[in-house]
Amino acid sequence: MSKPTGGGVNDVTHFLASGGAPGSPTSNPMFSGASQADWAAKRLVWVPSDKHGFESASIREERGDEVEVELTDSQRKVTLSREEVQRMNPPHFSKVEDMADLTCLNEASVLHNLRERYYSGLIYTYSGLFCVVVNPYKNLPIYTESIVEMYRGKKRHEMPPHIYAISEAAYRSMLQDREDQAILCTGESGAGKTENTKKVIQYLAHVASSHKGGTLGRNKEAIQGELEKQLLQANPILEAFGNAKTVKNDNSSRFGKFIRINFDVAGYIVGANIETYLLEKSRATRQAKDERTFHIFYQMLCGTSDETKADLLLGTADEYRFLSGGSIPVAGQSDSENFTQTMDSMVIMGFTPEESISMLKVISAVLQFGNISFMKEKNHDQASMPDNTAAQKLCHLLGINVLEFTRAILNPRIKVGREYVQKAQTKEQADFAVEALAKATYERLFRWLVHRINRALDRRQRQGASFIGILDIAGFEIFQLNSFEQLCINYTNEKLQQLFNHTMFILEQEEYQREGIEWNFIDFGLDLQPCIDLIERPAHPPGVLALLDEECWFPRATDRSFVEKLSAEQGSHPKFFKPKQPRGEADFSIIHYAGKVDYKAHNWLVKNMDPLNDNVASLVHQSSDHFVSELWKEVDRIVGLDQVSSGENSGPVNFGASGLKTKKGMFRTVGQLYKESLTKLMATLRNTNPNFLRCIIPNHEKRAGKLSPNLVLDQLRCNGVLEGIRICRQGFPNRIPFQEFRQRYEILTPNAIPRTFMDGKQASELMIRALELDHNLFRVGQSKVFFRAGVLAHLEEERDLKITDTIIRFQSASRGYLARKSFIKKQQQLSALRVMQRNCSAYLKLRNWQWWRLFTKVKPLLQVTRQDEEIQVRESELQKAKDNLTQVEQDYTDLDKKHAQLIEEKSVLADQLQAEAELFAEAEEMRARLASRKQELEEVIGELESRLEEEDERAVKLFPAACYDWNKNLHFI
Amino acid sequence: LIAHYQSLPQAASFTQAASFTPVNYREAFGLFDRVGDNKVAYNQVADIMRALGQNPTNKEVNRLLGMPSADDMTAKRVEFEGFLPMLQTIINSPNKAGYDDYVEGLRVFDKEGNGTVMGAELRIVLSTLGEKMSADEIDALMAGQEDENGCVNYETFVKHIMSV
Repeated sequence: MSKPTGGGVNDVTHFLASGGAPGSPTSNPMFSGASQADWAAKRLVWVPSDKHGFESASIREERGDEVEVELTDSQRKVTLSREEVQRMNPPHFSKVEDMADLTCLNEASVLHNLRERYYSGLIYTYSGLFCVVVNPYKNLPIYTESIVEMYRGKKRHEMPPHIYAISEAAYRSMLQDREDQAILCTGESGAGKTENTKKVIQYLAHVASSHKGGTLGRNKEAIQGELEKQLLQANPILEAFGNAKTVKNDNSSRFGKFIRINFDVAGYIVGANIETYLLEKSRATRQAKDERTFHIFYQMLCGTSDETKADLLLGTADEYRFLSGGSIPVAGQSDSENFTQTMDSMVIMGFTPEESISMLKVISAVLQFGNISFMKEKNHDQASMPDNTAAQKLCHLLGINVLEFTRAILNPRIKVGREYVQKAQTKEQADFAVEALAKATYERLFRWLVHRINRALDRRQRQGASFIGILDIAGFEIFQLNSFEQLCINYTNEKLQQLFNHTMFILEQEEYQREGIEWNFIDFGLDLQPCIDLIERPAHPPGVLALLDEECWFPRATDRSFVEKLSAEQGSHPKFFKPKQPRGEADFSIIHYAGKVDYKAHNWLVKNMDPLNDNVASLVHQSSDHFVSELWKEVDRIVGLDQVSSGENSGPVNFGASGLKTKKGMFRTVGQLYKESLTKLMATLRNTNPNFLRCIIPNHEKRAGKLSPNLVLDQLRCNGVLEGIRICRQGFPNRIPFQEFRQRYEILTPNAIPRTFMDGKQASELMIRALELDHNLFRVGQSKVFFRAGVLAHLEEERDLKITDTIIRFQSASRGYLARKSFIKKQQQLSALRVMQRNCSAYLKLRNWQWWRLFTKVKPLLQVTRQDEEIQVRESELQKAKDNLTQVEQDYTDLDKKHAQLIEEKSVLADQLQAEAELFAEAEEMRARLASRKQELEEVIGELESRLEEEDERAVKLFPAACYDWNKNLHFI
Repeated sequence: LIAHYQSLPQAASFTQAASFTPVNYREAFGLFDRVGDNKVAYNQVADIMRALGQNPTNKEVNRLLGMPSADDMTAKRVEFEGFLPMLQTIINSPNKAGYDDYVEGLRVFDKEGNGTVMGAELRIVLSTLGEKMSADEIDALMAGQEDENGCVNYETFVKHIMSV
């Protein structure tokens, strides 16, 4: 997956939105006055143009049904019929994110909008239910994890259009409504279906696994991580085996797929399942010029080691007949590097080394099938195989006996009636058989691969609560001549379109109901039923598929007899068309909703039967190689050789020599199988809430920044975008919430709404009444006003004129203000001037007046007397200051004296203190001496006391009685 | 002596342009004559009318002047006698838009619905729509009207414009 390294979020937001509030129809942040005025004044329209699809022009004159316009670019005047001219949307709708908001809903405006957005790098655009994406053919930095985070938890209208917004909507709605979801990606080859599918998976894998909280154990977390890793690896593996380089697309998916991701109640991914449809298996045996077969063939030839090459009996690309163009490199890709990646992915997916090598062996065998060549024997038609080198290699790879294989190919046993006989094959038959076997082998390998991946992705231990299914399937194919494959794919698309129409019908009806609007919306899904019936109806009358099946069981049936029968049964069907000249290239046409498609029935019987040499099939089934025999374990359902036999006609296979009717029902035709899987798919999809993604290829040159208008218009027609718009137009496609309606258009209805508070609905109703709109042009719902297509353009136009008018009035008033301001200034200047004039003239008169002259003379003298007074004042001030000074000096000397006196006193006191301290020390010494003396004396006392006690005891012993008295006396003492 | 200074306040009260008489018209007209031939240039006519209390559009004035070319606007001159009937026409069919109309017109650009518009947006509107105004004109018009966030209260703004 290419994840371009983007800068910061801010750098890339311009790839998402053109500016302004996301989701609002006004993508221009500022009111682009100039272009708006242009649009209203020039009455711009779109007229058809060969080169640009449509080009802009302005209406000059309208004459009945004709309109004269002037082309904007060339200034050429052209007269056109009214139907050819399509109205241009007001600039207010430029680069609108949802084209359903456009008020002029027409092909030209849709194309213009997509083109403008595409040139600005905005590849995603909504069109009602659809999300349209145009392949940018370059890496845009809009798929980084930070962008994923930006979309997470946001509603669709809150963010610019993106595949992530679709994914998020599906995921949220699954969690909230407990409803299964489907995302349907369709489009031409190279339009980006597969890339977008991968982005959906990337988004879901990111969002649904980062739920992992602390409550989950480490172990569980690891398992979840692994599952998501495997889910992301499923695509590279499928691409290696199912994708190829075509002229349109270097990595074209040659199969359709439906990926089902299962979630549990909490929204964790618990498993996934992939179903594939219509693998283009013929690519394994032949490719058109400049195209390649499936990537894995080249990867294997380039990427394997020499040792493995020897094991697989591999040669070089030029040695294989089934690689029509030899080795064709793909620009910017290395097959050998990709091989390593494929193998790594298979390891992550849990493939064992034995499985991988067995797969490669089978692929090598498919190539070897092509190198078996047969010769026509000289005498009769019988085929022979003079050189059996290739057959030997093949049999070695498949684990079967080469002699048995040769016999099964050249002289198979065929059941005729009740007996088996050996029947020699012609060279054509043998060639056909080998090719069919190769294709069948590859198809079985692919089916095994898908099954194996499903086994890895299936996590049964946890119950899935709901799922999101992603359908990646080719869109309508309309070539010059179309075959059975196109019928199948167009049939599918017819069904998918019906699903879309029906979904839209339901949703529209719900919206009308919710808003309380009475409107019988038509279910356009029913429109498609006749065409679907024509293809799938089993009987009364039988449809195309049923007739084809029937013809396959019919003896001596040919493609031509099938066409004849079809014309007979369905000739009058409104969707069926038989060309007048039967010799023409097309055998019949079906009118699909996307347009008339010419089909050529060449080889349809063979394609539908898909016959196989059952002798070889059962041989391979009994192969000594377990893997190979596993691939071929279902051999009873194939259409064997006894159903086909040689006939007189030129083709390698003709039908019907023997009685086949008894076998009918035992085998399944390709058509039946396909119809069955489609029915199953549709049943699944019908039970989901579908989301639609329409991919568009901008040009066939794989070039960035180029958009071929006619190519895009064709696709818009085929993928239902224009159809959706057509349906929209039947109702009231433009809806504006009351608030917005009032804010934008209140200017058109001055005084209609009283200044006091009023609720939106009432206000809107009053406004609409004041606008005097025809009742058929609008409906008022519960929260929005609904308008017919084009009404808003009209309102916009009026609003423009009105605004311009008001603005001009306001500008006049403003200019009046400015002029008056400057006039006032001028007048003030004038009156100031007049004051000066008066003063001047007064002076002129005055200067000769005697008193004035006296005054001018005396005036300086007056000044002199005043000076003396001033000096006196100053002097007295000076005197006062001097007095002050002497006073201060006196105080200072006094204080100084006092200071000296105090210092003296201080030193006397210090001497005294010293003497006291000495006395104290002496006394202390004395005290210490006395204390030690006391100590000594106390010791003497103690000594004497103990001696006394001793003496006492001795005395008591000697004179006990006397002692008592003595003792008593002692106590007295 | 003192009486000379007292004449100044009288001059200030002279500004009200409400009651013009032809004599005053002539006086005002004379104020715009920068050459001295008692005439004014074509490109001054609209401003004189405005000075005299009218709010004509440029288109209306141009029509009265007979759709002159850009060169004529500066080169050609008109005397008071020619000017007076034009003024009379304008006075007879005045600009009927009033305060409410202007406020409604500006409300269209009030994205938040809070009574203000972005000054920058207002500048773009006035300089690109209708009779486009120059940057100088807009600067003079909007001086002091923007708050610290660059928003203009348009009701106040309209009142301000209509105050003179």
